[in-house]
Amino acid sequence: MNKSGKLLTLFVWCLLAFLAIAFLAPLIWMISTSLKPLNETMSLPPRWIPSSIQWKNYPDAIAAMGQFWKYAANSLFLCAMSVIGTVASSALAAYGFSRIEWRGRDKVFLILLATMMIPFPVIMVPIYSLFKNLGWIGSFKPLWAPTFFAGAFNVFLLRQFFLSLPKDISEAARIDGCSELQIFLRVILPLCKSALLVVALFQFMFTWNDFLGPLIFLTEQKDYTLALGLQSFQSQNGGTAWHHLMAASTLVVLPVIVLFFFTQKSFIEGIASTGAKN
Amino acid sequence: MALILLGLFVFSGCDHEPSAKQGRVVIKYWEKWTGFESDAMQAVVDDFNASQDKIWVDYSTVSQIDRRLMLATAGGVPPDVAGVWGNTVPVYAENNALTPLDKLAAAASVRRENYIPAIWEICSYRDHLWALPSTPASNALIWNKKLFREAGLDPERPPQNIAELEQANEKLTKRAPNGRLLSIGHLPEEPGWWNAMWGTWFGGRLWDGQGKITANSQENIAAYQWVESYPKRFGADNLLAFRDGFGNFASPQNAFFTGRVAMVLQGVWIYNFIHNYAPKDFEWGVAPFPASDPVTGKVTAIVESDVLVIPAGAKHVKEAFAFLSYVNSPKPMEKLNLGQRKFSPLAECSEEFFRAHPNPYIRDFVAYAKSPNAAYNPRLTTWSEYNNDMKNAVGRIWSGKATAIDALNDVQRRQQKVYDQRLARWNRLAPELTKKWNEP
Amino acid sequence: MTRQDKHQLKVGLAFISPWIVGFLALCVYPLLSSAWYSLCDYSVLSPAVFVGAQNYRDILSDEVFWKALSNTIFFAAFAIPLGLFVSLSLAILLNFDLPGKGVFRTIFFLPSLVPMVSLAVLWQWMLNGELGLVNNLLNPILHALNHLLGTQWSAPNWLQDARYAKWGIIFTGIWGVGNAVVIYLAGLQDVPRHLYESAEIDGANFFQKTLHITVPVISPVIYFNTIMGLIGSFQVFAVPYVMTSGGDGPERSLLFIATYLYQNAFDYWNMGYACAIGMILFVIILTLTYVSTKLSEKHVYYAGK
Repeated sequence: MNKSGKLLTLFVWCLLAFLAIAFLAPLIWMISTSLKPLNETMSLPPRWIPSSIQWKNYPDAIAAMGQFWKYAANSLFLCAMSVIGTVASSALAAYGFSRIEWRGRDKVFLILLATMMIPFPVIMVPIYSLFKNLGWIGSFKPLWAPTFFAGAFNVFLLRQFFLSLPKDISEAARIDGCSELQIFLRVILPLCKSALLVVALFQFMFTWNDFLGPLIFLTEQKDYTLALGLQSFQSQNGGTAWHHLMAASTLVVLPVIVLFFFTQKSFIEGIASTGAKN
Repeated sequence: MALILLGLFVFSGCDHEPSAKQGRVVIKYWEKWTGFESDAMQAVVDDFNASQDKIWVDYSTVSQIDRRLMLATAGGVPPDVAGVWGNTVPVYAENNALTPLDKLAAAASVRRENYIPAIWEICSYRDHLWALPSTPASNALIWNKKLFREAGLDPERPPQNIAELEQANEKLTKRAPNGRLLSIGHLPEEPGWWNAMWGTWFGGRLWDGQGKITANSQENIAAYQWVESYPKRFGADNLLAFRDGFGNFASPQNAFFTGRVAMVLQGVWIYNFIHNYAPKDFEWGVAPFPASDPVTGKVTAIVESDVLVIPAGAKHVKEAFAFLSYVNSPKPMEKLNLGQRKFSPLAECSEEFFRAHPNPYIRDFVAYAKSPNAAYNPRLTTWSEYNNDMKNAVGRIWSGKATAIDALNDVQRRQQKVYDQRLARWNRLAPELTKKWNEP
Repeated sequence: MTRQDKHQLKVGLAFISPWIVGFLALCVYPLLSSAWYSLCDYSVLSPAVFVGAQNYRDILSDEVFWKALSNTIFFAAFAIPLGLFVSLSLAILLNFDLPGKGVFRTIFFLPSLVPMVSLAVLWQWMLNGELGLVNNLLNPILHALNHLLGTQWSAPNWLQDARYAKWGIIFTGIWGVGNAVVIYLAGLQDVPRHLYESAEIDGANFFQKTLHITVPVISPVIYFNTIMGLIGSFQVFAVPYVMTSGGDGPERSLLFIATYLYQNAFDYWNMGYACAIGMILFVIILTLTYVSTKLSEKHVYYAGK
């Protein structure tokens, strides 16, 4: 590498380091605030390292939130159900859109892609009425049952992956007398574990994150998800102290970050694939 | 496919019923309170549960209860009892979301004359009773005596009218050499909880009680021109910067407790906040908020009340009402309001209540609530929109984007339209709804 | 159709049946009934009454709706290009062969993992006028500038000031561009090396290469992200809702279409009106998507076409 190339690399590295610090700062600030005594959150100029680390802010915030563990359990339950629903139904539909040739398939797939353009707020009121008529308002069902009906985005992702597998493997199985369902379950699915993991991760994130859904479908405080519980903590009568709010916020972020570090590779590859040219 | 069906079946059975409390009728009761306010109601609920063996009240705190109750009632899964703000009664009632209580109340001899008049009005709408009060409140001028003394004002003599308030304001306001505000005598925006209702002290009303919105009446314009005088006098950006340094209301950094604001318009609950967050030597007084017109001689205050309602579609209406009327009997009512440090909405109140009450000014707040001049939010189904528009108007006035007159004219135009629309809906639904409400 | 074709069709439809059911029940039916309700006065607990185009007429003269729409357009108009610029720049920087590249990538990605509600709560704190980190970093810089230039700048009270509140939300969004960075980074890896090499022979510098090779080659990815950003921006809800506790911010500066729709449906008992707003939102998104697709046909470069 020539000298100007090295200089450029050094310059880029410094720029990136600076930006990286800027991107990390809010997260560190959140954690730092969550460990401060109350009066230090109000003191100027702000300090990064609390004078004494207040671990007890965490149990205090959990207690102040009311039913923190119940919210966490609800979030996990909903994530589990939605992940099951999404993976099962999207894999089926994606298979039908990729590894079986049938007339009109690609036209129907275009319709599927078009549904991605329907924003939830547009259909929120009728969906609320629909679940109301089913007697589902105030239960978890409106939040996970729809995931059993294959969301467009996940079908799209899995279809991309299914299409990348060679046709021969299906043919070989067919010659052996396997039905489509058998091919799907025994041949194709085992080959797509990574893609299924990606879809599962995305759905987990989506459900963990979801705010508007729980906001309109859940009615009882004990059924709240963590996201909704955090918002309700923040908007409670009289306001909430910042150090507690940051502690609660950290607790909501933490599981996602942990999950990310365990699945980093699939995560990044999965996200990279969403922009894949089509 | 099998997997999907299996999933649907296995998990649809997941909703668990609350375990029957020894074979009693279980009533679900949602409240908005947290902390000691919630504890006070919990104690009354416990008493009720212990007082008989037919009904069990299941009490729980729900945040943003007005929205939550709407979603649950519209969704067909309402609680049996809900504690909401009195100003939501019209919109719930007219949209078919509440159970009328007239006949139940008559049978239990719950009568108008037993209550402080303004509070009974808050529970009624269109000649029907929809709610019973739980914890009422009235508001007043609260001032910091120490700051008055330091500024050379008589700490025992609060301002008697708006002009005196502003004179005191002049003396109490301190600025840094660079013009930045350090502290102020009075600031309508701190905490600005009645921003829609400043007209009250200028003789203005927001609605004529018939079909006309009166946001831009002469009196209201005068009131908001007074509000407008603040950014004009102190500078909009200066005030914004000043206010942004205030801590949370419920914290020692509350601007009133730190002495950055010397006079505030606050409710009866201010005692609790002073007790919990103000410095130990905090000296405060309570007086009617000064009106523009000094000669009326009458107290002007805003009365509001938390109320208990039975949503439409509640499963156990009779039992729910039994609980409501229990809470509205003298002893539990005083216990609840003593616990929350408010006052009883009932016309009669025992001497022990006042003796036991820690708020030294509690009798004043009761007197303000009983005053014939006591005002309350207009009983409009459109109050939520109206209130939002008024808040927005104050924001525009405050930042200097609009004059008081323009801002109020905008509110007037829009709110009259919104009200007319809602009236059209009412005219469409009235025959059916009134028939339903009058059913035995 | 041969027997074989019919069989294939049956099997295919059986596989996609979960989606078909969902499509009919959770897309077609709600869209149609939303269209119907938008022509009704509907308050949930009373039957819907047909009122013709009344709701649409009311919307046209509803200044709050126009405020919400202009806020939403303002947000989209700045958040999307800024997001594109930041994420693409970060991706290009990350595409250099640098030590610690993986760590950088992870750091830029982390914020996009933060759930919306936490994001809103955190940035409410960051943007606090007096105590927030943003202003505490900004103030010394502005001080120095004031000293040098004799100006009177001071850091704004972001979320309390109608002039800056939307910028607060836009910055919040930019902090979460990590997703897009990863997508662009993957796209950059697909750019054929020989294109750069031949450009270098022609003496092109870094910026010329970026502008004339990198951007055109990954334009399909840019197009895809922009469409997604468009759809997302027009339904922005959670962050402003949390930051304002369900309100609409100073002088309605944080009232967006989705918030106004929500308020009408669930605060004001105006489900019909809410549906009409929804239909308008839908038409806007369809139109914008159509227009950008048309534009992209001219400007997007597809390899192999």
